[in-house]
Amino acid sequence: MKKNYLIIIILLAVKLAHGQGGAKNISVNFQQATVDQFVADLEAKSGYRIYYDRAQFDSLKITLQVSDQPLDNVLNLAFHNTVYHYAIVASKMQVFLTREKEIFTQPAPGYFNVKPGQSRPAAPPPVIDFTTAPVKKQIIESTVENKLYEVGIKTNDIKSGKANISGYVKSAKSGGAIAGASIYVSNTSIGVTTDQFGYYTLALPRGKQFLIIKGIGMKDAHRQVMLYTNGELNIELQDQVTTLKEVKISADKVANVRSTEMAVSRLDIKSIKQVPAVFGEADVLRIVLTLPGVQTVGEATTGFNVRGGAADQNLILLDDKTIYNPAHFFGFFSAFNPDIVKGIELYKSTIPEKFGGRLSSVLEVTDREGNKKNFAGSAGIGLLTSRLNIEGPIVKDKTSFIFGGRTSYSDWLLKLLPEEYKHSHASFYDLNLDISHQVDKDNNIYITTYLSNDNFRLNSDTTYSYSNKNANIKWKHNFSTKLYSLLSVGYDGYKYDISSSANPVNAYKLKFGINQTNLKADFTYYLNRNNTFNFGLSSIYYKLNPGSETPNSASSLIVPDKVANEQALESALYLGDKFDITPDFTISAGIRYSLYNYLGAQTIRNYAPGLPRTALNVVDSTTYGNGKVIKTYSRPEIRVSARYNIDDDLSLKASYNTLAQYIHQLSNTTAISPIDIYKLSDPNIKPQYGSQVSFGVFKNAKQNTIETSVEVYYKRIDNYLDYKSGATLVMSHAIEQEVLNTQGKAYGVEFSVRKTTGKLNGWINYTYSRTFLKQDDATAGQLINGGAYYPANYDKPHSFNFTGNYRITHRYSVSLDVTYSTGRPITLPIAKYFSNGAERVFYSDRNEYRIPDYFRSDFSINIDGNHKVHQKFHNSWTVGVYNLTGRQNAYSTFFQEQGGSINSYQLSIFAKPIPFINYNIRF
Amino acid sequence: MKKFLAILLVITAVACKKQIALKPIVALNSYLVVDGSINVGDSSIIALSHTVNIAGKARSNPEVNATVTIESSGGSSYPLVSKNNGNYVSAALNLSVTQNYRLKIVTGDGKQYASDFVPVKNSPAIDSLGYAVKTEGLQINVNTHDAANNTHYYRWDYVDTYQVRSQYESKLIVVNGDTSAFRTAEQQIYNCWLNDTSGTINLGSSAKLAKDVISNQAIALILPTSEKLRIGISILVKQHALTSDAFNYFDLLQKNSDQVGGVFDAQPSELTGNIHCLTNPAEPVIGYITAGAVAKARLFVDNENLPGTWLPDLSYYDGCSLITELYDYVPPMSGIVEHQVREYVYTGIETPVDTVLNPKLGVISARPRCVDCTLRGTSKKPSFWK
Repeated sequence: MKKNYLIIIILLAVKLAHGQGGAKNISVNFQQATVDQFVADLEAKSGYRIYYDRAQFDSLKITLQVSDQPLDNVLNLAFHNTVYHYAIVASKMQVFLTREKEIFTQPAPGYFNVKPGQSRPAAPPPVIDFTTAPVKKQIIESTVENKLYEVGIKTNDIKSGKANISGYVKSAKSGGAIAGASIYVSNTSIGVTTDQFGYYTLALPRGKQFLIIKGIGMKDAHRQVMLYTNGELNIELQDQVTTLKEVKISADKVANVRSTEMAVSRLDIKSIKQVPAVFGEADVLRIVLTLPGVQTVGEATTGFNVRGGAADQNLILLDDKTIYNPAHFFGFFSAFNPDIVKGIELYKSTIPEKFGGRLSSVLEVTDREGNKKNFAGSAGIGLLTSRLNIEGPIVKDKTSFIFGGRTSYSDWLLKLLPEEYKHSHASFYDLNLDISHQVDKDNNIYITTYLSNDNFRLNSDTTYSYSNKNANIKWKHNFSTKLYSLLSVGYDGYKYDISSSANPVNAYKLKFGINQTNLKADFTYYLNRNNTFNFGLSSIYYKLNPGSETPNSASSLIVPDKVANEQALESALYLGDKFDITPDFTISAGIRYSLYNYLGAQTIRNYAPGLPRTALNVVDSTTYGNGKVIKTYSRPEIRVSARYNIDDDLSLKASYNTLAQYIHQLSNTTAISPIDIYKLSDPNIKPQYGSQVSFGVFKNAKQNTIETSVEVYYKRIDNYLDYKSGATLVMSHAIEQEVLNTQGKAYGVEFSVRKTTGKLNGWINYTYSRTFLKQDDATAGQLINGGAYYPANYDKPHSFNFTGNYRITHRYSVSLDVTYSTGRPITLPIAKYFSNGAERVFYSDRNEYRIPDYFRSDFSINIDGNHKVHQKFHNSWTVGVYNLTGRQNAYSTFFQEQGGSINSYQLSIFAKPIPFINYNIRF
Repeated sequence: MKKFLAILLVITAVACKKQIALKPIVALNSYLVVDGSINVGDSSIIALSHTVNIAGKARSNPEVNATVTIESSGGSSYPLVSKNNGNYVSAALNLSVTQNYRLKIVTGDGKQYASDFVPVKNSPAIDSLGYAVKTEGLQINVNTHDAANNTHYYRWDYVDTYQVRSQYESKLIVVNGDTSAFRTAEQQIYNCWLNDTSGTINLGSSAKLAKDVISNQAIALILPTSEKLRIGISILVKQHALTSDAFNYFDLLQKNSDQVGGVFDAQPSELTGNIHCLTNPAEPVIGYITAGAVAKARLFVDNENLPGTWLPDLSYYDGCSLITELYDYVPPMSGIVEHQVREYVYTGIETPVDTVLNPKLGVISARPRCVDCTLRGTSKKPSFWK
């Protein structure tokens, strides 16, 4: 009887196959046991034979005390929450231990239908083609690695030739799309990267294929596919639960060498979070500054300069929404909520033809999709800010939302200050709400919104506030496996206002605003294995309020003043083809034709030809009616890049780009300030044009775990606006009288080494770069430095950066960030004189001198709570020090006349080590 | 924009502004600096100097050998007389508002300079001066208007006169270096009056207002700890009317001097005045010549009207103490007679304050700076005082 029971139990165990078995109860007691000790003990006690690869288990240490449990329970306890798996074949008394990969002891359904060894009949029977297939197409959700998935309409034999496979790569845990994941066929150069929605299309030879899928922050996976005809396969990837390999940087391992893109940096939020940030909150923009070729003029600004471009020449997109001011609190925080952000991509040289309107770079920030399966959330508490994020399904597996909010509460700190500042107030908040909805398998709708607000008031003085407002609806439609479209409509707005009521007579309110409505249609067409076309059109309607000033009290004598609104339409058509000439030689060629119309109503001043644009030289003015086209600029923009693989891990890339920019940011301060104004190109202010040629060598080493690259570039910029000395830009009715057109040139070489896996990972970059401007047109008014080239404000020849993370254990890791760069140029006083009652200074040529070099090191320790997957709350701490050495980096050096004598000063921000702590919770 | 910096400084409490040693930057050239304006109805004072090395000790390098004239667009010419200290002074000129005027300079080394011809722009009268007690100090305000709506751009400078008081009131005066006598009221050195000029450029504009009105424009701020407020201060404010070009020049000069280097401050910019070197057109010349009549007004502020908590910084008198000096002093050890009064007081090393209890024995004295305010100013009460 007893024996019979035992048999039944064994049978049950076999039936349940995975994770069951081991009828004999055993007791174990392991203290830091190695796998060998563990296995020997279990084999002795259970009678099973255990198979494993010792090398895979070398880092495993088991501490476990169990009494009188079946073998499967013991193994469950031992491997819970690890990358290790087991499979029991009770019938043969065998156990297989594996790392990362799971063994399924049952064959995958349909496995035996394939008959791979069977020889092909001489004349294959006709096969129904997919296009006429009466059978409803089905999307296969693939989750298991060792199963063979059949894609397309099954036939008993396989046609020769190729078929397309397409689908979404998603997270198994949240259902969110994984962008930038690469899917390729092992041992070939056939591969593709998923787009921002996680969508991919790949043309493959029909038959059995082995696909490798790599996504940032996800476990590497593979899928076995039997491809019959065109079909769809969605792939779910497991989150990387273990944090051993957390910093996954970049254009992924293989893509670094294989893609035609040059100088594209992809970073996911996990790597962003590794880098120490000033108040302990992960900062999306600050990490951009650690990338090669990216510079900043100093701390307290999130404006950045890419390869010698100005700060306004970067297009900053948050899920296709243009963010005009990406900073809070004057740059101490970036406007992006780290809990919502999935990752960033920075395009520095090969700017895809679908982007336009800025000269230097495109920074794409992508939000996560809401969890489609479960409700989840996270919260973080810092010294000055707190944040909360909630996400979850609205309709399970179909519709989800994600909400993120941040707010500051620095007022308590201000209350502690001396009387002078006690009544000050400073605050900001930002909100994100994104909804994604799957209408059916071919239609997806994405709604994303963003709102940010900053508010400052200094004791009884002026109040400053600024705000971003953005909304965007996207509709993605798959026409077929070869063609899909993305239609988007959006609104982007930025405004600021300044008000003062201290003096009733002069009380004023100043407003500025920029609004743009945009419409975009993008198409991707996979013609065949060698050609992928991108084409589309876009249009942006700008409406600018360049400034209005109104009285802010009844007794105010301020005359209401308004700079006339500006309108313009910026449209573009583009077409690009990625052409694989041979597996080793690929060219991406695209053209973008941009067309810009400056529209009325507007009054345009006409200047005497050949004379500087000053008030004296205004001849007359022309008034245009509403909607009338005043001036049209157009330009074909060329985007070409090529890649040649010398061997599997060495490639050469080159690119040539021309770009046009029709909107200008005007600032005569060093830093980007929230009250800088924007100006649209008009008959008197020409668009900026840029061109860049670059060349790079990319080499991967040690199984693609180390990526190295060297890139050189040369760039020209036409019509960059620099200000005349002492220009007044705010509320100027004739901006063209305050600015000068300059010509710029920039060149540089960037060296980069990255290690993406292992306990120690990170990157080291060194960049040598120069940027010069010149104004040599005497008829334009004043020459700068006599018409010679002068270094731009952000010309910093040497720049070195190290960002590293060392994982001590699964729970503890330390990060170190070291930055060095040449000091930025400055105009210094070179002589002094006595005038108007005080000693004063005479300045050198523009940007003739430099401030001292910049050096900073930051350190942080990240402590994760325990790693149990199935617990209600996951918490983590970040503790660290910003500016570890306390170096007093000069923000600027300047001279100030005080009490009749001239003293020189150096202004430093964050001039001592700043400790920080942040607590995060995820639920 | 300084405000932004201030709040950053405060919130983070980590920004720091540190005085550093000057870098030895040597300008290759020395440029002519022209300071002053063409006055209508009063004498014009033009100061000429050359720029000096920024790291040098010299404050300025006056040009003393120049020939300076004011020329009218009608061809008249008015000479200025050198005071041999770099200052050149004209007679009181009644210049016509219908003509334009310029300054012509020939320096000692033969180089010729000339300003642009500038219109005569007379300032409207100052309506009133006022003051306001602020936490940061005593603020002086000006009110003015131009009924003709024609002035719009203003500049103010001022001369302030304030009373100081010595640490000790001296009743004795040394006569002929060998005796002392009681001081008369005219010989008092206890109360003195000092002058100071504005070192900042104060500009105002009503260009944006519907009427040409300047209301409570702050032109001076005196710190609560300033010795100027110990007893009282009298401020003579001079108001200049400017053209918009002149306003822009002074605005730049002010920005370059006062507002450069902060995070959100404008960068220093090239100053282009309206004076040119005729001999070498590429040579920069510093200065901007304006012409017009100046309006003046005076304001007196008594310490009694200021908060009692405002205590003057009297560190000038640090180390002051009274010393007793005897005519004949016999030290107990040596027994050699010292004539202390003769040695220390009659020689001027110390200044006598009073006699000791028995006037025949000696005097009480102190160091001169603790007693004699004429070392700093004049003991004659100005006619406009109170």
